[in-house]
Amino acid sequence: MIYLHLVWEYLKIGLFSFGGGYATLPFLYHLSEVYGWYSPKQLSDMIAVSSITPGPVGVNAATYTGFTTSGIIGAVLATSAVVFPSLICVILVAKLLNKFRENRCVQSAIYALKPAGCGLLTAVALNLFRENVNHIWAYILFGILILMSLKVKKEPLIYLGLSAFAGLVLGFFGIV
Amino acid sequence: MQVNFWNIYKTFFKIGTMLLGGGYVILPLLQSEIVDKNGWAKDEDIVEYYALSQSLPGIIAANISIFTGHKLMGIRGAVAALSGVIMPAFLAIVLIADILSELVEKHSVQSMFAGVAVGVVILVILTIKEMWNKSIVDKFTCMIFVLAFILASVKVSPVWIILSCVVIGIIYGAVNSKEVK
Repeated sequence: MIYLHLVWEYLKIGLFSFGGGYATLPFLYHLSEVYGWYSPKQLSDMIAVSSITPGPVGVNAATYTGFTTSGIIGAVLATSAVVFPSLICVILVAKLLNKFRENRCVQSAIYALKPAGCGLLTAVALNLFRENVNHIWAYILFGILILMSLKVKKEPLIYLGLSAFAGLVLGFFGIV
Repeated sequence: MQVNFWNIYKTFFKIGTMLLGGGYVILPLLQSEIVDKNGWAKDEDIVEYYALSQSLPGIIAANISIFTGHKLMGIRGAVAALSGVIMPAFLAIVLIADILSELVEKHSVQSMFAGVAVGVVILVILTIKEMWNKSIVDKFTCMIFVLAFILASVKVSPVWIILSCVVIGIIYGAVNSKEVK
């Protein structure tokens, strides 16, 4: 029964959370109230942890709830359920897009779609900047990394590794 | 690298492993692994998938991986990319589930996270720089950019932003007889 509930709830989250990032969070809090699969405290810990573990927070949350409520099978089921609607929707849209790519309307739509995506990401960047770069040491680290990006080729791992290391060192000296 | 199921899975597994600090890093990672290193797709494709992913249900990093996988090898490619990108996330959580709460309270973990959070901002900014070059090509696209940015800043749902920009694009394309790119 718990398996069915897990699959059902995470299918719903996969199907109804639009806009990504933290759009899944309200659903997750709702689940904690309705089923008590985890406490709100556990959820906020999970969200904190998901930023240092690989993967998007929605996937992490699904795996975590599945695992804590019903072990490894629950983890597999919940994780699969949360991404399954994506798989179906995206494949459908991708197929349609391939079929009608030469169509004039589709071309104008894509022509407008790209700058819109870029605008959305810029708003995200601004939010992330406000949330994450809010301390003197963070400004300094930010400045150093930006200067570095002028010289060094963009290799995401270098930036993630360096910033994690900087955080550790600053933490060690009690600055963070 | 040759495009086959296993190579797609491996590449996305690698991307999934580096997907720290939320799903946004998926864009710079795709640009680095898929566009630069393997030449499997163009920057323009990634920008397009990102915009589309925003307006479809589900987790964006998953959506954009499915789009990319589907472009490479149809449905099998989509499954390879999706399973590859979520596998590291799955394994990591299963491994640390029991010690999760203690882990969060560890000071070193918190400070590492604070550091990574700054790195994520840099990566997203660098990605915007590249997206800008590929997507803002004239006055009209610049206007769409500003519109999307403002609407997103006042917390309009991305779904509506993308849909309205698409409608504006189609109208603009119909009114202007000149070829759009």
